[in-house]
Amino acid sequence: MILELQNIEKSFGNKPVLKGVSFQAESGKAFGLLGRNGAGKTTSIRILMDVFPANSGAVLIDGQPINYKQIQLGYLPEERGLYPKKIIIDQLAYFAELKGMRHKDAVKASDYWLERLGMAEYRNKRLDTLSKGNQQKIQLITAIAHNPDIVILDEPFSGLDPVNAMLLKDVVKEQIAENKIVLFSSHQMSYIEEFCDSIAILNAGKVALHGDLHTIKRNYVRDRLVVRTEYPEKLRAEFGKRCTAGENGCLFIQLASPEEKQAAMKHITDSYDIDEIRVFEPSLNDIFVEYASEAANKEDM
Amino acid sequence: MKQFGKILKFELKYYFKNKVFVGVTVLLVLLIAAVMFFPRFASMLNSKNGDEPSERSVMLIKTESSEQEPLISQAFTEAFVNYDVQITQDSNDAIQEAITSGKAECAFVISELTSYIYYVGNLSMYDMNTETADSILQNIYRVNAMISGGIPAQQAGEIMSVPIESQTQNLGKDQMQNYWYTYIMIFALYMVILLYGQMVATNVATEKSSRAMEVLITSAKPAAMMFGKVIASCLAGLVQLIAVFGSAILFYSLNKDRWGDNPIVASIFDMPPGLLVYMLVFFVLGFFIYAFLYGAIGSTASKLEDINTSVLPVTMLFIIAFIVVMYSFSSGNVDNTLMKICSYIPFTSSMAMFTRIAMSTVPWYAIAASIVILIGSVIGIGVLSAKIYRVGVLLYGTTPKIGSILKSVWKA
Repeated sequence: MILELQNIEKSFGNKPVLKGVSFQAESGKAFGLLGRNGAGKTTSIRILMDVFPANSGAVLIDGQPINYKQIQLGYLPEERGLYPKKIIIDQLAYFAELKGMRHKDAVKASDYWLERLGMAEYRNKRLDTLSKGNQQKIQLITAIAHNPDIVILDEPFSGLDPVNAMLLKDVVKEQIAENKIVLFSSHQMSYIEEFCDSIAILNAGKVALHGDLHTIKRNYVRDRLVVRTEYPEKLRAEFGKRCTAGENGCLFIQLASPEEKQAAMKHITDSYDIDEIRVFEPSLNDIFVEYASEAANKEDM
Repeated sequence: MKQFGKILKFELKYYFKNKVFVGVTVLLVLLIAAVMFFPRFASMLNSKNGDEPSERSVMLIKTESSEQEPLISQAFTEAFVNYDVQITQDSNDAIQEAITSGKAECAFVISELTSYIYYVGNLSMYDMNTETADSILQNIYRVNAMISGGIPAQQAGEIMSVPIESQTQNLGKDQMQNYWYTYIMIFALYMVILLYGQMVATNVATEKSSRAMEVLITSAKPAAMMFGKVIASCLAGLVQLIAVFGSAILFYSLNKDRWGDNPIVASIFDMPPGLLVYMLVFFVLGFFIYAFLYGAIGSTASKLEDINTSVLPVTMLFIIAFIVVMYSFSSGNVDNTLMKICSYIPFTSSMAMFTRIAMSTVPWYAIAASIVILIGSVIGIGVLSAKIYRVGVLLYGTTPKIGSILKSVWKA
């Protein structure tokens, strides 16, 4: 199954928010929707979820306009919150029922997920008696209990301790393994890098970058080396201005062209006492900063 | 439609599991039970003391002209059946002493037929004794005057007590008869609409401020959410109304014989069933109009604290409607021009038309017109509110102005 947003445009009043957003996400894979605050991520998600219609453009499943009666969506919003004063199992079942489940199945599915996330003991408690992290786990259940075809997770890891983050990772991997489309939106690039095969970076209502993450990284010009050594001054002496300080005590060595890299790496390993040497590949963080900055937006215009 | 049913069920559960809702309903029913069973308990307490004859309060009469004394004492004894009328020759000081010490409740010291002093321990608001005494003395004075003018005593007596035959044929409504139950029904309408309307607003704003709306809006259609909430609170209000009115009627019928002599209570429970149907119709329609408005307003507030100020205009509108109706109602002229206009304006017609139906004779086509206008307005306001709701629930930050909301509704 392929989900496609095709040239979506949306304005609120006279303010254009989305100016022709297009991207594709495949089932069995996770997709990362990135962008700075106000770039149009939530608006894209809301159009995808049919909260309001787009001014133009289309949401397609396998090339056909999406049928919301057949395709189920699950959503974990960035702004968390359910009914604080209501019993947990009651509201979980209610949300699953709203998605079309029968009451009995809704309770059963909710119970399964409470058990799976280690929350069974809170089944008959009020939501506001739970810690923030646990409330978030309850909210995650509202996104997946009705077994949706498309799972949309907005900042799913924020506020979770490492153990719960691990639990959530397992759940997400499970969802991907079940051949669902998992759509991530997050500012925590490490998680996106870990899960997502393809990404789209939104900048000021437009897609600044879209595609397979691995390919995007490979396509960067490979003309920089990362070197770790105990004696950086020796390298500085040889490479002068081309040698700059990198992260974590590494050095960057800028090459004249990518073709030089083989020879340069051989030369450095032969001539110096080196702990580590590799070709520089940008992290998603670097790519994000490059494409999502205001400067990038202006260049585009 | 399926979603609507689920939302309705969920919202209804909220009311019926709400401790305040259940508590208030039970309390009201208990209160009504206490009032309705009161005469039964009271008579049970009395029957325990039944051996002793019930004591009547003492009224002392002192006349300074001895020739009128038998006549006066006879007339007073006949007129004041609730008193133990005693003739005394004590001094005024002794009489005052008797009243302050509690031996007697009141006393008439009659110096002549046209002048007396009334002594009373505590002058009650409803004390009519002087009026009665006045007319007794006037009668005696007139009879005396007629006798001294040559008319025989018997004829004078007949002149004074000539009977007048009269018949009242009421072709419309009896306002005396209808007053109390209409009063109670208008008040019930007012309370329930105001209370539950505000509950709808709070309910929507709570969902929004707790961010449950973020998930809800992606799970259900805004119209289904809005209608589910409003109809649920309407049903909850109806249940409460039925519980209160039903228990009142039930408890009254259990104690009917004990209340028989109380004209106000009897007139309250003598309400025609047709009027109850009208009450139901006007309650439901009037409720919908206000609940939709409250719901729409609730959706535009980001914080629960904003609700009170946001709903103020609607609440004021309703209070003004109530005041207009109540003013016309208590003045007795329910068919004045203002009331006639108000009974076709959807925001006021639920109370105004209902009052007119209860207290006066309204032609059927006027009632039909009022109801049709109300139904049309309910649909119109319902659709508009659902649109405002759809836009409103996604707006955070400062409460938007009405104009900008309507603008975005228009464009949506």
